[in-house]
Amino acid sequence: MTEEAVLFGARQSLAGIVTEPVIAGDARVTKAVILLNAGIVHRVGPGRIYVKIARELATMGFVVLRFDFSGIGDSVVRHDHLGFDRSSVAEAQEAMEFLHATKGIEHFLFLGGCSGALASFETASCDPRVMGAVLINFQTADSQNEETSPDLPTRNAAHYYWKYALFDSKSWRNLLTGETDYRQVIRVLWFELERRLKLKKREQRSATHFEGRLQSLAARGVQVIFVCSDGDPRLRDLREAGGRALKQLCASGAVVLDIIRGADHTFSSVGDQKRLLQVVRQRINAMHRHAATRLAVATYSDETSSCQFLQPSSAAQAGTNTAQRGDL
Amino acid sequence: MNSVQKILPFYFRLSDKPLFGCYHEPSTSRPRSCGILICQPVGHEYVNSHRALRHLAARLAEAGFPVLRFDYYGCGDSSGNSEDASVAQWVKDISAAVVELRRRSGLFRICMVGLRLGATLATLAAAQRGDVESMVLWGPVAEGENYFDELLLLEREMLRFRPKQRHNQKSDVQIEILGFPWSHAFIAEIKDINLGIIAQSITKNLLLLRNDSEGSANNWQDRVVHLAARVEHRCLKAPEIWLPTADGSLLVPAQVLQAVVSWNSEIHS
Repeated sequence: MTEEAVLFGARQSLAGIVTEPVIAGDARVTKAVILLNAGIVHRVGPGRIYVKIARELATMGFVVLRFDFSGIGDSVVRHDHLGFDRSSVAEAQEAMEFLHATKGIEHFLFLGGCSGALASFETASCDPRVMGAVLINFQTADSQNEETSPDLPTRNAAHYYWKYALFDSKSWRNLLTGETDYRQVIRVLWFELERRLKLKKREQRSATHFEGRLQSLAARGVQVIFVCSDGDPRLRDLREAGGRALKQLCASGAVVLDIIRGADHTFSSVGDQKRLLQVVRQRINAMHRHAATRLAVATYSDETSSCQFLQPSSAAQAGTNTAQRGDL
Repeated sequence: MNSVQKILPFYFRLSDKPLFGCYHEPSTSRPRSCGILICQPVGHEYVNSHRALRHLAARLAEAGFPVLRFDYYGCGDSSGNSEDASVAQWVKDISAAVVELRRRSGLFRICMVGLRLGATLATLAAAQRGDVESMVLWGPVAEGENYFDELLLLEREMLRFRPKQRHNQKSDVQIEILGFPWSHAFIAEIKDINLGIIAQSITKNLLLLRNDSEGSANNWQDRVVHLAARVEHRCLKAPEIWLPTADGSLLVPAQVLQAVVSWNSEIHS
């Protein structure tokens, strides 16, 4: 396996690491996975999990590019005022252009955690080169809004009550002996009740935009794998946003929802990381087989990009700058 | 910040345990006679402080200094795994980075800027080398035993609400701190750290940076004040950026970065 530091993109301003297997002779690697930043943590990922994933996938024969979106890690800030929702997709496309230019790879799998999962989903939704995506602790629009909302502590407290305090004898003892902040408990319960009522109303309406996009990806044959920590409130958000469509697509096998028991949002224990790696290994392998079968039987003449907000110029030239290669 | 500033990511020491580095080319308007090596902390502290140290490197480069940030063996983008790390290896890595910075910048004079364990490793490397012009120690780990206790406390605090690991899931060969596995041998090396026992002066100029949020019981300055002929202390109102935040944000303490840049600019004017 080798690791190479690269700069790419229209301004040579996106910094990344390409991890790839060593292949004898003229043979070339044809399968690639692109890893997108988990939140604002740079390309090594929380607990260095992206490094572990990249190395593991390289041993399975994949070229892996993990890079920093502009303004994160070692990538330079953009000056075009493009919002992150758009720039992240444009830069994911630049990553594909780069791997196409340097390795000749035409189809890609994506993997991302948290906001990187959302960027992977958005890229898969609008670019036919994406054959599948592993979305770890996916951040729905609701989670995104709630994370910047003043209600965040109340929402986290509600999750804590439901997930842990309800089953914890010490919490019950505190409640019964008056050592609990009752006003806080009532506030949290009221918040949760309101949230559930809103959700009920929404369920009665037609399918959400997110459900429609999931169905559209499935119809295109794009594999979507959600990997969720059961200790993360985003799992509930995903189930709520996915609604009936998510249930149906999971039942039909078009979408997969893997839940990692006991894990938290950032997989902050080595045991959780090992289980995540195992799931990623299995799912990426299966996705690649599925994609290869699909490519063998399909023609793409009728497939056009349905990307609604990207400017044509943003998926720009790729190139490489630097670097030296380190044999590991 | 200068928009045309150039950052070059690369691997060095390719033949043996390659290390990842990021070289910040200096602004040409104010050439300096000294290169700056940034020694990062490790584990979760590395992840939490990466953003701030990247900003620090950019500011120093803007002030005319060539700057190298790099990852130790088994850390960040460098080769190896944290289980294989050792303090002795990391001190060697710092020396390899000094050679690389001199080669790229063409400058012999080196200043080391270290944060937390990075400051400690920089001190150990400087004591071995004897050719470091100046140093900035930002919240260094002066006593390894205390540092390890702090890490264990944080691990317990952060994982308070997680299911406890079953005995058969625990590793006999590793100690885990917030997702980073370390060997027992490495932890023993960490616990042995005591900067107070370094007897000689290791550099000409030393800046000690202390966050005012650090507890008064942690008087690490007493253990390092003898390390240079000229020592300056600064206590700044700034958060402990190496600790996890409730909302996952990564903090960049402008006042600390400015202190490092202005001190270096004055010393190496």
